[in-house]
Amino acid sequence: MTRRVAIIGTSAIPIGRHQTSDDAEIQTLEHEIMTRLVIEAVSDAGVEKKDIQSLVFTLPRPYTRQKYFHTFLMGQLRLSCRGSVMEVMGNGMTAALAFDQACNDILLGRANVALALGINMESAVSAAEHAMSSMRTTGDVDFHTSAGFTPISWYAMDATRYMHEYGATREHLAAVAVKNRHHASLNPLAQYRKPVTLEEVVAQRPIVEPLGLYDVPPRGDGAACLVLASEDVARSLGRPYALVRGRGFFHDGSHQINDVPNNMIGFEAARQASATAYAQADITPGDIDLAELYAPCTIVEILVSEALGLCPTGGGAQAAFDGETRLGGRIPISTSGGLTSRGHPAYVTSLYNYVELAEQLRGKAGARQVKNARLGLATGELGNYNAALIHILEAMQ
Amino acid sequence: MNARISIPCIDVQGRRSYPPRVSAFTQTFWNSLAQGGWMTTCCQNCQKQTFPPKPVCPHCWSPRVDWSELSAHGTLYSWTRIHAAPTAFASEAPYAVGIVDLDSNIRLACRLVERPSIDFKPGMPMEMVVLKFEDGPLFAARPLSTG
Repeated sequence: MTRRVAIIGTSAIPIGRHQTSDDAEIQTLEHEIMTRLVIEAVSDAGVEKKDIQSLVFTLPRPYTRQKYFHTFLMGQLRLSCRGSVMEVMGNGMTAALAFDQACNDILLGRANVALALGINMESAVSAAEHAMSSMRTTGDVDFHTSAGFTPISWYAMDATRYMHEYGATREHLAAVAVKNRHHASLNPLAQYRKPVTLEEVVAQRPIVEPLGLYDVPPRGDGAACLVLASEDVARSLGRPYALVRGRGFFHDGSHQINDVPNNMIGFEAARQASATAYAQADITPGDIDLAELYAPCTIVEILVSEALGLCPTGGGAQAAFDGETRLGGRIPISTSGGLTSRGHPAYVTSLYNYVELAEQLRGKAGARQVKNARLGLATGELGNYNAALIHILEAMQ
Repeated sequence: MNARISIPCIDVQGRRSYPPRVSAFTQTFWNSLAQGGWMTTCCQNCQKQTFPPKPVCPHCWSPRVDWSELSAHGTLYSWTRIHAAPTAFASEAPYAVGIVDLDSNIRLACRLVERPSIDFKPGMPMEMVVLKFEDGPLFAARPLSTG
């Protein structure tokens, strides 16, 4: 029988401003946070130190002083492994790739228990200064960055186009931010938890028109650890776990912009990757009980919900406005609070999405619990969703 | 080659905030642009244009590419105005950028130049222009004058 993988344990720190400035007398050290999280997640899973045979880390930000963070942490924990120990990087997809690679090590038989983990510290660096680096990650650094594009400016152009094609309004988009803030108010890991109104979201200062401050992700720091195991190990522990039922990936062969005019807001990569994942899980979009989307801006959550088939094309904004994607609605999306309110420490963001799915599917989400949640979906992305990595997880009691 | 297509040039004071690098290959594009030329590479094998210019055709992978003219006009596909800018662009903020579909079926992204009392709107006709900074050119687009 083919091997299968499950999430059996998780840990994370609340997303927020943890990074200390270089001149602070008392510094926050990344490895001190990470070692505690490993112990916590492994304890949550109910396995032992010797069981862990692979560790896949997300690449730390360049602001993290300790280099070779992954092998440094192996020393801090005196962990010896036969599988793999590595740091992976893929911009917004980084944490989804770490999870995927940890799954692979189990599927290949290199490990029966593996960790996917990482820390992203950046909040002590100003947004304008951080953008000097992030502006070079989207498009062509010579032909596009020279014009002043920033990562979220591309999503803003998605919003302009979507509003043009479907007549959606700023209020429709803002409904996503209001809904996510409500979800975040119920999540102890979330960065912003005070409820906001539609009027407040629309009244925020513009960041990249038509998106205002609450339509775009806040900046913050985070760290999380997932414990993955072969299904045999998961079953032997006698506790609920979240089984990986399907996985899909697609890169559309363009980087940020397609020079052959296409439907830019169709998010073809998410469409194709999800089709693969649904087929592998032998389900349809209608079977999904909740989705944790990599959606840095309000508009992105709308477009991804459509590309995944959770909402009809052109109907995602209306669905959000009508409360269909709210807790208790037809298809709850971003029950963690999403990137706009739970927070977006980009290189570990998807780890938090898997943490949320694991809590929901193990019945540990408290006030955010989606009743009878059985199937959950998570996404990771590159660029303007030029690539998508999608996992479908199932609750196993 | 000398491009026959010539696009309007606008003199801009100061230097480019984040100048592009120029290679032995792309200097043909940038040098031409500085003179108001507007061109890219076209594959001799499959006849497809691509933008930005590339030394290998991304469609059929042929290295046999020639320089050819781009359309000077197109349609605005989408746009935004950036208020939160990177440090290097802070003095220019807010500034508009957009995506233009050229009549020759090439999609590109560039800075947008405002015209008084004309709002940017998807679907509106656009024309490409050269922004001639003191240290070199950048390409941009502005609403096509209807006057």
